[in-house]
Amino acid sequence: MEQGYIENGFIVDVSNAKKTSEIIYQLSTILDLPDAHCKKVCLKLGDIELSASELLSIKALVESMNSEIEFVTTLSPATVDAAMEIGLKVSELENKVQAPDFNQGEEAAQETNKELEKALDKIFGDSGLDEPTFQAEKEMKKLKAETSDSVPVLTEFKNESELVDEVIDNIQVVQQEQEEPEIAEPKAEIAPEFSEHIQTAQVEQEEEEQLEEEFAELEDFNKQLEQINKEVANAYDSDSEDDFLQIQKSLRETEKLPTLYIQRTLRSGQSITAEGNIVVIGDVNPGSEIKAKGDITVWGILGGIAHAGSDGNKYARIRALKMHAIQLRIADVFARRPDSINIPYIQKSSTFEPEEARVKHKQIIISKMYEN
Amino acid sequence: MDGRVIVITSGKGGVGKTTTNANIGTALAKEGKKVVMIDTDLGLRNLDLLLGLENRIVYTIVDVVEERCKLKQALVKDKKNPNLCLLAAAQTRDKTAVTEEQLKDICEQLKKDFDFILVDCPAGIEQGFQNAVAGASEAIVVTTPEMSAVRDADRIIGLLEAKEEIKSYKLLLNRVRPNLIKSNDMMSVDDVVEILSAELIGIIPEDTGIITSTNKGEPIVNDEKSLAGKAYKNVARRIIGDDVPFLNLEEDTSFVGKMKKFFSGLMGKEK
Repeated sequence: MEQGYIENGFIVDVSNAKKTSEIIYQLSTILDLPDAHCKKVCLKLGDIELSASELLSIKALVESMNSEIEFVTTLSPATVDAAMEIGLKVSELENKVQAPDFNQGEEAAQETNKELEKALDKIFGDSGLDEPTFQAEKEMKKLKAETSDSVPVLTEFKNESELVDEVIDNIQVVQQEQEEPEIAEPKAEIAPEFSEHIQTAQVEQEEEEQLEEEFAELEDFNKQLEQINKEVANAYDSDSEDDFLQIQKSLRETEKLPTLYIQRTLRSGQSITAEGNIVVIGDVNPGSEIKAKGDITVWGILGGIAHAGSDGNKYARIRALKMHAIQLRIADVFARRPDSINIPYIQKSSTFEPEEARVKHKQIIISKMYEN
Repeated sequence: MDGRVIVITSGKGGVGKTTTNANIGTALAKEGKKVVMIDTDLGLRNLDLLLGLENRIVYTIVDVVEERCKLKQALVKDKKNPNLCLLAAAQTRDKTAVTEEQLKDICEQLKKDFDFILVDCPAGIEQGFQNAVAGASEAIVVTTPEMSAVRDADRIIGLLEAKEEIKSYKLLLNRVRPNLIKSNDMMSVDDVVEILSAELIGIIPEDTGIITSTNKGEPIVNDEKSLAGKAYKNVARRIIGDDVPFLNLEEDTSFVGKMKKFFSGLMGKEK
């Protein structure tokens, strides 16, 4: 117990977190799991330095999720002090839990841990992604080394002020251009060329101007490209990132709601209201109404009025094997069946196309389920 | 504006109250009158279907009564004619959701803005009928030339006469089949009028087009060729006060009819 073993609890490893916000995010997602309720938590921190107030907020978060921090383990002495200050137990968990039976020293344990991590990285880490970036880095370093080599050569000729200034200008241009891989190669050639030129003490003005012009053009083009990219990214973001998170969140919320399960056909005049989700195994005939605070799913023909997210949840959805609803309402958005297919009765047919209705840009859109 | 409140009733079900309501309402609106139709058949509403307005109903008469919305919000405008409105019944409630007083109040409010308020009455003589009649000052009794329908109409007329608010009532004979009358298999128009001793406002012939028009959600008065549509149009004009002669149903005036008559004459001679 004292050595870092916890009964009815579990270890939360946030040692890879570099910021307090990351720790809080990871913690909240883990503690949100139903298994985590009312259990003790051992917080495994990395070498991040946390102040007493930050630790307090983490503690508060854990307690708000009906859990309790049993002790923390950290690699940072500052965090140890902070934890002591607010009365949290500090323990070295790693050697006790990882190798409880072997009397290994602290260092040995850490080494084995590192080896283990390495091995795990090899298995789970995306090594395929790492390699190319590493190579790219190498190339960059090479290029840098080359340019820095050429600079000292030039600085030797400081006295011939005009020439050197020009050359330095050129080199600055070259350095900036290096960021573009296409032009990176010719540069390597230019550098020795220049050194020759310097020795002959003849730099052609025209060439320089041309280069500058080309560079200006390139810069313009780059700016345009950047702007276009930004616009595209913005357009994409506004639709996806925020929305996506919200949708995920609301999906989790509707999952928690109670679900009413109806295993018969709803006929005209019957209405059902539920605090949570509704699942109907059967048809919902015209003239009937279903109203739910969560989602509505009809395993059959939806021909009546369906109102999902009746308390204002615009992320609620309505699904049906056949969407023939007279009216669909989601939160405060409203849609009615087009007049062109105003059939007062539902045509029974053997073709079923599962469809889903949801709100997008304040309008209800219906899409086929398999397109989502 | 002081609108006329007309209740359309029958006692017996299935004689064509709702069809009559939809068609007279549409015809009146076509004549340029401002018309609102109230469906008081709570729980068995059909008027919206006949008008093809089912998908537009957001609030019903029960929502108005229970003050979930204003009266004007609950009025559903017709697809084609802006003069025509519908106050729909609630499908998920029963007759007890609305009282006579509340309906009277709604009629009084609508009188200010509309020329005609047509109240669609449910079948029967119970609470639903009492509610529908409460706000009305005129009545149209729909019946068919069948003994059971005539008997029920008689009962209804008796109840209407007992109501002080109902100043006048007219008879509308629906689903008349001239051929059957001719062959003495159906009560004639005169027979019915004699039994009920009520003033006739219209005779509507049986028309299979009614079925398709109901299914399409399009009143038959919009069909210029239909005889029943023509008859309903005449009823509307008579309501306004025009003196329109009754259609001669017995003589088929169409070209095809004349040809038929001609050929049948020939055949008869040959035989």
